[in-house]
Amino acid sequence: MRIETTRSANALRMEHAAGFHGSATDLLDQLVPLAEQALDRAEPLATALQPDTERALDDRLGGELTSEERFVRLRPPDGGPAGASAQTLAARWALELRALSVAKGRPVTVLNEHTAAFDGADGRFWTELDAALNVALADLPVRITCFYPELPLHLEILDGARRNHPLLLSDGELRHNPGHHDPRAVIAARPAAQPPVLGPPDVRLSFSAWQLHEVRTTVEHALSGHGYERERLEDIVLAVNELATNAVEHGAPEAQLSLWTGGHGLLCEIDDGGTLRDPLPGLQAPHPAEPRGRGVWIARQLCDSLHVWTDGRGTHVRVHANP
Amino acid sequence: MTTTVEDCGSVDHAIAVPVSDEQLWQISAEFLAHGLVRGEHVIYFDDGTSDRVLERMTDDGVAVAGPLREGRFTIVPSDRHTSPHEVAETVRAAVDAALAAGYPAVRITGRLTFVVRHTGSDSGMADYDRVIEEVVRHRPAHILCIYDRARYPEEVLEAVRAAHRTEVVAPAIYDDGLLRITAVGPGTARVAGEVDHSNRPRIRSFLEAALDRALRLPDAPTDITLDLSSLRFLDVAGAVGLVHAAEEFPNAHRLVLTGVRPRIQRVLDRCGAPFATQLVVHARSDQPPAEQPSTDHPSTDHPSIDESPADESSAHQPERPAHEQARA
Repeated sequence: MRIETTRSANALRMEHAAGFHGSATDLLDQLVPLAEQALDRAEPLATALQPDTERALDDRLGGELTSEERFVRLRPPDGGPAGASAQTLAARWALELRALSVAKGRPVTVLNEHTAAFDGADGRFWTELDAALNVALADLPVRITCFYPELPLHLEILDGARRNHPLLLSDGELRHNPGHHDPRAVIAARPAAQPPVLGPPDVRLSFSAWQLHEVRTTVEHALSGHGYERERLEDIVLAVNELATNAVEHGAPEAQLSLWTGGHGLLCEIDDGGTLRDPLPGLQAPHPAEPRGRGVWIARQLCDSLHVWTDGRGTHVRVHANP
Repeated sequence: MTTTVEDCGSVDHAIAVPVSDEQLWQISAEFLAHGLVRGEHVIYFDDGTSDRVLERMTDDGVAVAGPLREGRFTIVPSDRHTSPHEVAETVRAAVDAALAAGYPAVRITGRLTFVVRHTGSDSGMADYDRVIEEVVRHRPAHILCIYDRARYPEEVLEAVRAAHRTEVVAPAIYDDGLLRITAVGPGTARVAGEVDHSNRPRIRSFLEAALDRALRLPDAPTDITLDLSSLRFLDVAGAVGLVHAAEEFPNAHRLVLTGVRPRIQRVLDRCGAPFATQLVVHARSDQPPAEQPSTDHPSTDHPSIDESPADESSAHQPERPAHEQARA
């Protein structure tokens, strides 16, 4: 697994715009010029579009899109056994886009489209995704435009889009968005979604700062004999140790570890009674001189999914890690 | 009297009272290694700790696979004995057999838990120690009895201590049961166990003190060395702490980490170790230690009765760096 430890030093930083469309045709009319500009500039193009949209865009470009070697399809949102996590998706896109911009040595154009399948109960998945992208992609040379329907099912989707995007695309032009807010303020007002409730855990352990050894032993035992390679097992133990350390270091004196083992890989939850200073932790590589914050950043890269959320009871982290 | 574990090669019947598992493994491993170096028959009475003791011997650069295969090193399950008397007789039989087989000496250690379990009284233990004393008297046998603090009440420890002439000690700079730091030489320490949020500052304290000494003494080594051969876990903040400590060293000084296991190496790499110019990381080779040339194995036809301990220098730890490779 790739571990990035340095920040990139590109001149262009993220441009994050929102576009709104009234119909599929309207959407295409807005997408085509953005794609053409990227191709004209010989810059890489990455998309997270619905399959129908991508096909129609490719048709409009005369098949130039998908035949282009600079074209990359970003990993689409997925549910997975831990539930959909917008912050996990943002962290993964950040890795993919960083690699792409480094490989091509050029800024990347990203076309992103809302998919109702991930609206959940209230559409806040999209608010979390855009806020997390603002943090995770902050210093990457990326032009990203997120397209939302003018009339989504949940009003939250429009509200979130207007709060998260520093730029708005209208009539083919980017304009400054006066309603734009800092991503952490957005998440403070609209906390990350709570993932689906799981059944009773297979293993449960309360621990303090002096019992992190027990946390590691418990995870190691739970993984043994489930097809995890030695190195993978050690990395997962490290990831859980870092989350557990955070829980008892910044949170309450005691925290809970819950493990679900079985055919779906390891599901692990750490719950503490504390509050988060950073509601979107571990999305950005900490500066090398910064002693804190590296644990969650590394854990995010070692786990298949890592979702942090808060509620009235405290702070929770759910992790999914396949063999 | 007390003797340090480095010098315990020639004790005949001694006791050790380790305060932690890490110390137990250290003392057992070093005591057994003395025997392998001298070509003795080496026996470990195992109560489930042998994996860790063998791991520690491997960390120390001692080849164990060959001696185990050749029968020079035997691990005896210790739970099948029922009485102190029976144990003492097992020890006697082992010593008799090894000497009859022509070994110059025999060396036995292990944690003798069954003694207390089956007698529950001091007299049984004292009895046992008397038999052992008789077994080793005037014979080339080295027996180290290990009674760890976690398992025995203080009065039992006092009684068994009184029954032994020699106590083997292994002082530590720090030992909390999870992490053990021992001094190895000037500016050099061995870090064994696990480093996490609960004990991380101890590494920092050691490095600061070692650096102070190095700066104060004109001919002190400019490298501060941590031997991490037996470090099994290092958390992210611990790794960041080592990287930062090295970067804050004065220009002439370096922090050198040796015997670094792959698991520890990966954490260090993720925390910027490759970019720290004053940090040197020597990875531990995945290969088991090179087989030591077997000290001339005695033939059964001409049993050697020479019990004089081998030259002192050979009783010390074998040199480690032979099997370590500097990381590019």
